[in-house]
Amino acid sequence: MSEKFKTVLKYAFLIICTVVSVFPLLWMVIAATNKSVDVIAGKLSLGTNLVENYRNLIGQQPLWGNFWNSCKYAILVTVLALVVSSMAGYAFEIYRDKAKNMVFSVVLMTMMIPFVALMVPLFQIYSRLGLLNTTVGFILPSLATPFLIMMFRTGAKAFPLDIIEASRLEGLSEFQIFFRMFMPTMKSTYAAAAVVTFMNAWNNYLWAKVIMSDNTTQTMPMLISSLTSGYVTDYGMLMLAVLITTIPTAIVFFALQKYFVEGITGAVK
Amino acid sequence: MKRKLISVFMTVIMGCTLLAGCGSSGDSAGTSSGESTVAMENNEDAETETKEADTKEADTDGDQTLTVWAWDKSFNIYSMEEAEKVYQKDHPGFQLEIVEVGWDDMQTKLSTIVGSGNYDQLPDILLMQDFAYQKYCITYPDLFQDLTDCGIDFSQFAEGKLNASVVGGKNYGVPFDNGTEIAAYRTDILEQAGYTVEDLTDIDWDRFIEIGKDVFSKTGYSLCSVQAASSDLIYQMLQSAGVSTWNEDDTPNLVGNDVLKQCVGIYKTMFEEGVMAITNSWDEYIATFTSGKSCGVINGCWIMASIQSAEDTSGLWQITNLPSLPGVEGATNYSNQGGSTWAITSNCSDFDLAVDFLKETFAGSVELYETILPGAGALSTWIPASESSVYSEPQEFYGGQEVFSLLTDFAEKTPSVNLGVYYTEANTALATLLANVVAGSDIDDELKIAQETVEFSMQ
Repeated sequence: MSEKFKTVLKYAFLIICTVVSVFPLLWMVIAATNKSVDVIAGKLSLGTNLVENYRNLIGQQPLWGNFWNSCKYAILVTVLALVVSSMAGYAFEIYRDKAKNMVFSVVLMTMMIPFVALMVPLFQIYSRLGLLNTTVGFILPSLATPFLIMMFRTGAKAFPLDIIEASRLEGLSEFQIFFRMFMPTMKSTYAAAAVVTFMNAWNNYLWAKVIMSDNTTQTMPMLISSLTSGYVTDYGMLMLAVLITTIPTAIVFFALQKYFVEGITGAVK
Repeated sequence: MKRKLISVFMTVIMGCTLLAGCGSSGDSAGTSSGESTVAMENNEDAETETKEADTKEADTDGDQTLTVWAWDKSFNIYSMEEAEKVYQKDHPGFQLEIVEVGWDDMQTKLSTIVGSGNYDQLPDILLMQDFAYQKYCITYPDLFQDLTDCGIDFSQFAEGKLNASVVGGKNYGVPFDNGTEIAAYRTDILEQAGYTVEDLTDIDWDRFIEIGKDVFSKTGYSLCSVQAASSDLIYQMLQSAGVSTWNEDDTPNLVGNDVLKQCVGIYKTMFEEGVMAITNSWDEYIATFTSGKSCGVINGCWIMASIQSAEDTSGLWQITNLPSLPGVEGATNYSNQGGSTWAITSNCSDFDLAVDFLKETFAGSVELYETILPGAGALSTWIPASESSVYSEPQEFYGGQEVFSLLTDFAEKTPSVNLGVYYTEANTALATLLANVVAGSDIDDELKIAQETVEFSMQ
């Protein structure tokens, strides 16, 4: 097999992969500009119905109210989850304790429990605490996730202990070491964790649907669900809502993609 | 400097969002006020002021706000909002707080609420799918309130519809939208094959297949289509003859059910002869008749909204009844698919108010149905509404047919059947059966497997 043929084969494979990956996004944009009938018919060119779809969408649904709710929840969850989980991951790695590995195993085991199994008891607890339909109720279960703790613990393994020792000699408190030494050093891990957490929080649907029963607390995934729950679905309008919902996660990902790979692989600069 | 700026930025964002979070929490604590909903949804000061004024008025008479869960903004929620307006004429302090909850989400929420025992999280009124009514009433006997002797005249509803919400002889809901079965055909395509809608009226499935084969060979169009993962058409056929998939003791009646076997046979023949197209998804199903692969639709009358989405085919459609089962005792040309009913939950804060509201609107207002029929196509199952002149107005999309009075007539002739507590499970088992039979499996063997599957689900 000649080198040239191998290159052609490689490029052909990559082109196919690119088309398969990009086509849904492209189709989403095209569908958002077309009428529902055209979307169903599989029209693959840009239409002229974008403004009409937008008008219908804001006429039927509190689009920007829901968008604001999603932003609010996702930012809060991301910021707080990073702080809480990175502290936990740091502590698991840096501090010595006989039981820490056992505790960490228990934390990891909770990853195996599907959220659906926790939903009813969580709902009961949150109902008794008066946290239904509240921001606190929405974000609380997402603050300490085993995946993030594991990610930060793995990251902390690469954090030089000498820095901690030197900082202690300089008189920094443990919190100061964490916030002033650990956090800036691990920014790529934080960036990767931020992308993952933001996406999860933004797309969180099941828990939101269970505890949010008020029109004022609905999020973008709930809005999309509402658009598909009618007897007739306007696919043009639906795809516009999906497009608008996708934009923030895309922005977050592209803004932090430089650090994403580094963070996932646990590199420290 | 840069780090300080980032810190300040993050602090501001967190501060703002936390404050906003507190605001949301506070508002939701007083969900019965109705203020927060309106303010967020409309962002219009003027309207908020109006609502605030109304709320104040309501407060002086005692709280007259009811919470409602329903799906479909342009159909069910629109109808409920119109009912609110009708009721407000005599009860100015009355308000509804309607929360949009999709049917799938409704099931998740109800299971969670009932599973955790937190009935106080239920709304006052909620909309239920007819096919799930029996299941929820029997599985969760504390969920809905008995409305039998509350003053609503249930005899004024079509019997076939009413039975969905009757459990143990007691009424647990006020019927709302109509799921009367229709067969809609493209007259221009039928004409190409030499047929009219009259040729497809009051016929049986044998004749339907005969015409369908002819239409397919002459035009390439199938006469109807179905979705693969559903056995709705089989249920529609069975109900048209008053046959259920359940015995009287609520055990599954699949093996040895000759009418069911006949329906499956008809289904297979229709597919093999090109009379019926099978699609993989709901979107594809809609596309068969809006984008031209099928010249007919057989389904509940709510499908008309999807048919009408193909505006360029206006005037080319006509509606008639569905074919009957040949040689079956009690077979008719009328059936039902879907529909929904309003239920008052056990958490209702003011049962008398909720009953009076439903009695004066969905079970007592011709005016309401005159508004929601042209506004949303919501067809009544409350018989007195059909006497309104709105029902006999010709519909341009259907070639000037008086569609709504026709459907009311169909609804009155529809036999009632027991859909069963485990309707969803049986529907899924039959859908698998249909897929296997179409692929060549033996009907009797598949019926046995389906029966075992349903029995297993019931354990």
